[in-house]
Amino acid sequence: MFKKYWVFSLLLILTLLGKSFAAEKPLRINGSTTVNPVVTEAAEILSQRWQRPIYVDTQGGSSGGISSIGDHLIDIGMISKPLSEKDRKRYPKIDFVVTQIGTDALALVVNKDVVEGGVKALSKEEVKAIYEKKITNWKEVGGKDQAIFFYNKEPGRGTWEVFAKWVYTKIKLVPPVSHAEVGGNEEARTKVGTTPGSITQLSASWAQEGGSIVALGIKLDDGSVIYPTKKNIKERLYPLVRPLNLITNKTPEGINKDFINYVLSDEGQQLVKKHGYMSLNEF
Amino acid sequence: MIRKASFFFSFLCLIFFSAIVIFLFTESLPIWKSEGASFFSRKLWYYRNESFGLLAMVFGTVWVSILALGIAAPIGLGTAIYISEYSGGKARLFLKVLVELLAGVPSVVYGLLGVLVLRGWIRQTFSLQSGDTLLTAGILLAIMILPTLVSLSEDALQGVPRRYREASRAMGLTKVQAIIYTLLPSAKTGLISSGLLALGRALGETIAVFLVIGRADNRLPKTLFSLKPLVEAGQTLTSKLGGSEVNLAYGDPLHWGAICGAALVLLSMALVAYIIGELLIFQAPER
Amino acid sequence: MLDKLLNRLLPIVCFVCTLLTFLLLVGVISYVFSRGFSALSWEFLSTPTKEAGSAGGILYQILGTLILGFGTTIFVSPLAYGYALIHSFFLKSGKRKRLMSVFIYSLNGFPSIIFGIFGFFLFVKFLGWGKSWLAGGILLALVSLPTVTVAIIERIKEIPSLHKEAAYAMGFNGEKVAWSVIIPQSLGGYFTGLFLGLARAIGETAPILFTATVFAGATLPTGVSQSPVLSLPYHLFVLAQDSYNPQALTNGWGAALVLIGIVFTLSFLALPARMIVHQKAKNDE
Repeated sequence: MFKKYWVFSLLLILTLLGKSFAAEKPLRINGSTTVNPVVTEAAEILSQRWQRPIYVDTQGGSSGGISSIGDHLIDIGMISKPLSEKDRKRYPKIDFVVTQIGTDALALVVNKDVVEGGVKALSKEEVKAIYEKKITNWKEVGGKDQAIFFYNKEPGRGTWEVFAKWVYTKIKLVPPVSHAEVGGNEEARTKVGTTPGSITQLSASWAQEGGSIVALGIKLDDGSVIYPTKKNIKERLYPLVRPLNLITNKTPEGINKDFINYVLSDEGQQLVKKHGYMSLNEF
Repeated sequence: MIRKASFFFSFLCLIFFSAIVIFLFTESLPIWKSEGASFFSRKLWYYRNESFGLLAMVFGTVWVSILALGIAAPIGLGTAIYISEYSGGKARLFLKVLVELLAGVPSVVYGLLGVLVLRGWIRQTFSLQSGDTLLTAGILLAIMILPTLVSLSEDALQGVPRRYREASRAMGLTKVQAIIYTLLPSAKTGLISSGLLALGRALGETIAVFLVIGRADNRLPKTLFSLKPLVEAGQTLTSKLGGSEVNLAYGDPLHWGAICGAALVLLSMALVAYIIGELLIFQAPER
Repeated sequence: MLDKLLNRLLPIVCFVCTLLTFLLLVGVISYVFSRGFSALSWEFLSTPTKEAGSAGGILYQILGTLILGFGTTIFVSPLAYGYALIHSFFLKSGKRKRLMSVFIYSLNGFPSIIFGIFGFFLFVKFLGWGKSWLAGGILLALVSLPTVTVAIIERIKEIPSLHKEAAYAMGFNGEKVAWSVIIPQSLGGYFTGLFLGLARAIGETAPILFTATVFAGATLPTGVSQSPVLSLPYHLFVLAQDSYNPQALTNGWGAALVLIGIVFTLSFLALPARMIVHQKAKNDE
C-alpha cells in the first residue's frame, strides 16, 4: 500500500513540475530531413528577429512530424509527402491542416561510378526488380559487371512512402525486403557517396552536380528518358514529384501562422529555391 | 532525519529501476499475448504486415558481441598481463590511468570514427562493396570495450596474492611458468568475470553500432555457422531500438509492444551477462 | 621445449598486445585531435550554430551539455549518497547488504538505450513534458548512479572504525555519527565518483536521443516541460551521418574534440583518487 502512494505522489510531483514550469511558449518544429534545411534557416533568421526560441528537430522524419503533431508535442510538422488518409485516421482527434511550401523531385540516386559504368536511367519495372532483388547486378540494366547495393530509406521516411506509392501504387503491396537502411537525407548521401555500386531513394536536389552521387533519369514506357531537371519538373514531364508540406493542428494562428507566412513570403520562397527545391510559383 | 532521507532516496533508486522493468514488461504484454514464444523464433520483422520476429536481431546482437569479445579478450588479456607482471611501479600506474582515461571516450566519437574511417578500411581490406557490416560493428565494439577489459583483467591479476607468485618461483618455476601455471588459474574467476562485464557492455552499446552496421532487417544465414553474414549488413536489438521505429510504433499497441519486448530481451541478455560477472567477483576468494 | 618457447614468446606477445592496445586508443584520440583542431577557435566555442552545423560554432551545444551535467548532479547526488549510507552505514544485516551490492553493481548492466525508451514513454509521452533537459538530467543520473554510489561506498569502507567508535563513545547517535564522521570523511569518494559518473553520462547519446535534445534552435531552457537543449553528443550523432558536407564534417570533428576535452577534464579531476586506489592495490599484496 505504502509503496503505491509513493509511486503515485512521485508521478504527481513530476507532472506538476512539468505543468508549473512550462517554458514560455516556444515554437516547436519536427519532421522531414528534406524540408529541414529550409525551415532551419528560416528558424535561424526568425528566432533572431523575434527574439524567441524556435526548436527544429528531424526525429523520425515525416512520420515523426505527423506523430508529434498527433501527440501535441510540436506546433509545426515538416513532411515531404502528401498527408494520407491513413495518417489522418491514426489521429482522429487532430484536425490536420496542410500548407504546401514548395515542390521537390525524388530521384533514384547512385554512386557516381554507376553512371560512369553506363547506367544513366532506370524504368519503373527495373527499379521494382532491383528493390525486390530480382536484379542484383548493374550489367543486367546496361551497366558494368558490379553488384547492386540498395540503401533503403528507413520506415516512416516521407521519401520512402512517395517512392513506394510510385512503384507499387499502394504501400500495402510493398513486399518485405532486406536492404541496409539509411535515415535522413544526410546519411543517405554520405553512405551512397562512399559505397560503389550503391543506390538509394533521395531528393534529387541533394545530388548536386560534380559530387560523388548522381541522380538517375527515369525511362518512361515510350522509351524516352526524363531527368529530374528544373525544366522537366516545371513542364510536368518528370513523374516522381512530391509536395513539401508544413502541417499544423487546426488552421495556424499566432506565431505558427507568422512562421508559415514567412516561409510562403518572397524571402522564405528564396530559401526554398536556395536549397534546390521548386518554389511555389515555379511549380 | 538523515536516516529517513537516506531510506527515501535508496527507495527511490529501487523504484526507478523496478519501474523500468515493470514498464517494459507491461507495455510488451500485447506482443507476448499475440506471439508468445514465436516472438523469438519468427524470422521476419516487417511491421507493415504486423509480423514481429526477433530472430535476426538476436542473431546480429550475438554475433557482434561475440566478435567484439573474441577480438578484444586476447589482446586485453595480453595487455593486462604485461601491465600487471612486466611493468613496474610508475609505468604500471601510468598505463593503468591511461587505460581508465581512454575508457571514457564517448561512444558517439567512436561512431564518428567508425563511419568515416573504419567503414572505408573494412571495405578495402576485405574488398567488399559496402563497409556497413557486422564485422565493422564488431571491430568498433572491440576497440570500445578494450579499456574496460584491460582494466578489469588487470585488477583480477593484481588480486592474486604475491605469496602465490613467490611460492611458484621458489618451486623453481620461471616467471612465464608462474604466470601460466599459477597466476592465470588463480585469477580465472576474475578474468571470466571481466569478460562477462565487457560482454554486457558490448550487448547494450547502441550509438556506435547504429552508425556502422547498415541496419538491414531479416538477415539470417542459410546455415548456422556460415561466416558470410559477417561481411554483410545486419541489425542488432540496439540498432533497432535506436532507430525511427520507436517514434512510429508509439500509439500502435502491437508494434509498441514489439519494441518494448525487444528492449526487454536486450535488457535480460545484458543483465544476465552482467550479474553473473558481478557474482563471480563477489565470490572470488581474494575479495 | 614448449616451455622454453613460451618463456621467450609470452613476454613478447604481451608486449605486442600492450603496444596494440595503446596504439589503437592513442591513435583514436590523436586522429580526432588532428582532424578537429583546425576547427577550434574562440569563435567556434562562443557562437551559435548556423546552417545546420556547417557554419557557426557550438556554443549552445556546450552549454546544453553542461546543463545536462548539472541536472545529473542534482539528481544523482542525493540518490547515490542515500543509497551508500544505507548500504554501508545504517544497514547491519549481511544478507540485505549483499543484495544491495548486487543491485547497485548490476545497474551498470542496463544498456543506455533502455533509459532512452523508458524516458520517451514516461517523460515525453505519459507526463507530456515533450523534450526536456530535466528528463535528460534524471535519465543521465540513472546512468551515472552506480559509479557515484560505488565510489562513496568504497570510501565509507575505508573510514577507520576508530573514528566511528570515538564518535559513539562521545554519546553520538547514528544520525550524528553520519553527519559528523561518515559524510565528511566520504566526500572525497563522492567527488571522485561524481566526476567519473559525469564523464560517463555526459558522453551518452542514447538516453537523451528521444527525450532531451533537439538538433537546432534551442538555447537556454526557461522551464521544465517543452524545454529541450542542444547537446554535443546528439550534434555529433547527426553530423556523423552528414559527412558528405566537408565543412559540417570539420565542425563535427571540432565538436568531438570539445566533447572529449570535457570528458577528459572530468576524468582528470578524479585522477588523484584513482592513483591512490591503484597504488593501494599494489601495496596490499
